[in-house]
Amino acid sequence: MRYADFTPYDLVLLAQGLGVTLGLFAATTLIGLALGAALTVLHYYRVPVIGHVVVAVTELLKNSPVLVQLFLVFFGMPAFFQVNMTPVTAALLTVSLNTAAFAFVIFRSGVEAVDRDQIEAARVFGHSRWQILRRIISPQAAAFSVGPLIGLLVNQLQVTSLISVIGVADLTKIGNILNLRTLEPFVVWSVIGLTYYLCAKALAALGGRLERHLRRSVVWQGL
Amino acid sequence: MIEINNVEKRFGSAEVLKRINLKVEPGEVVTILGSSGSGKSTLIRCINGLETLSGGAIRVDGNDVSTAAGLAAARRRSATVFQLFNLYPHMTVLQNVTLAPIHVLGQPRAEAETRARALLDLVGLTAQADAYPQRLSGGQRQRVGICRALAMQPRYLLLDEVTSALDPEMTGEVLDILARLAAEGTTMVFVTHEIEFARRISDRIVFLEAGELIVDMPAEAFFSEEGGLAVPRIRKFLSKMTKD
Ligand SMILES: Nc1ncnc2c1ncn2[C@@H]1O[C@H](COP(=O)(O)OP(=O)(O)OP(=O)(O)O)[C@@H](O)[C@H]1O
Ligand SMILES: [Mg+2]
Repeated sequence: MRYADFTPYDLVLLAQGLGVTLGLFAATTLIGLALGAALTVLHYYRVPVIGHVVVAVTELLKNSPVLVQLFLVFFGMPAFFQVNMTPVTAALLTVSLNTAAFAFVIFRSGVEAVDRDQIEAARVFGHSRWQILRRIISPQAAAFSVGPLIGLLVNQLQVTSLISVIGVADLTKIGNILNLRTLEPFVVWSVIGLTYYLCAKALAALGGRLERHLRRSVVWQGL
Repeated sequence: MIEINNVEKRFGSAEVLKRINLKVEPGEVVTILGSSGSGKSTLIRCINGLETLSGGAIRVDGNDVSTAAGLAAARRRSATVFQLFNLYPHMTVLQNVTLAPIHVLGQPRAEAETRARALLDLVGLTAQADAYPQRLSGGQRQRVGICRALAMQPRYLLLDEVTSALDPEMTGEVLDILARLAAEGTTMVFVTHEIEFARRISDRIVFLEAGELIVDMPAEAFFSEEGGLAVPRIRKFLSKMTKD
């Protein structure tokens, strides 16, 4: 029996793998951005202790390999805390936290980039701290953040390929399977690579449009 | 009435305001003069609560700005126009002017917008209502700043060098509007380097010197030989200011 040939069914496999990759990417992006935004709000209100903890944890997440974090969550946590951990849960947890850590850093510098003078004006006009965050800071911080955020997400899309290592059937894992079966690594990895590339490009294009929309009010000098 | 009693302000060891006493009655235009670094901006920032006092008290219609509730009430009675406009760049002119009326005063949006458009008409910005601040000239931006302040229907208008970032022509545009407001009886605390203009619209002039309020007199007296000009420090200041 020969397994070496590609079959039309491989396209279905590929589509399934892509679905898992994109699904995981979408879920971790939503959770990561929401968590990153929530942490930014805590930081803005200078909630005692929490602010320092958040900064310390994000530093840890930013400065250690995602693969190591994944192993810690998938192998380490079940062993230590006696909990069950499916590959998908571990993947969701790890990539979400990782995205959140980087998003927090981006949002925080977006908030800090908003001109202090306007915030003083808003205070003098009697706006509450929450109103200032909601109406003055957030829209501008969002506009400042989209660029770096798109860069982050394009990178996180690639990072999701690491989850194949713990057995999640994402695009990379499908590549692995097809490769083992067909013994055509050049073809398989070219196709897989190109698929990631196209997704990343589509994401960047989408982000570019969003950025132009958010920055419509501003004539950016020198850009 | 704005009452400033024995107000002191220190930044670290620097005494920036020293036992300032000043009263501003409704309907008055009080101009604050003084050389650079004398504490004029700091005094304005103490009145609108951007700086906390190191000593003394400020009351706006009886509301003590050093308490949270007092400050909120004081801020509802006064509005500030800033030297660098401090508009919200991500909002259109109309949104800039209606933000506080809607979210602080709780006016319905439609009502706030009608009022805002009327104010913009008044200062010749009818056509710019939907433009973003970045597209406007400095003079136009400052007129928006004035509308934003007036939209709060303040009893007191605080103005800190509102024309010093503008070229002479734009300065004229803005001063014309302020003169009109003064003539209509708007109460103003006005920091400026436009001496001639101050002379024309002020009821009283106070002079700050290194954090001390050394003179407080009616405008006419301030510019007379027996009044302000008899004070060597003021004579020197005025001759320097009117030269350039
Ligand atoms: N946040 C601050 N921290 C430390 N020193 C300050 C601060 N704000 C103002 N000062 C100092 O207080 C003094 C008064 O400043 P202020 O801005 O009130 O002067 P001014 O009369 O408005 O001057 P100008 O005409 O240049 O605007 C200056 O010596 C200034 O350096
Ligand atoms: Mg000043």
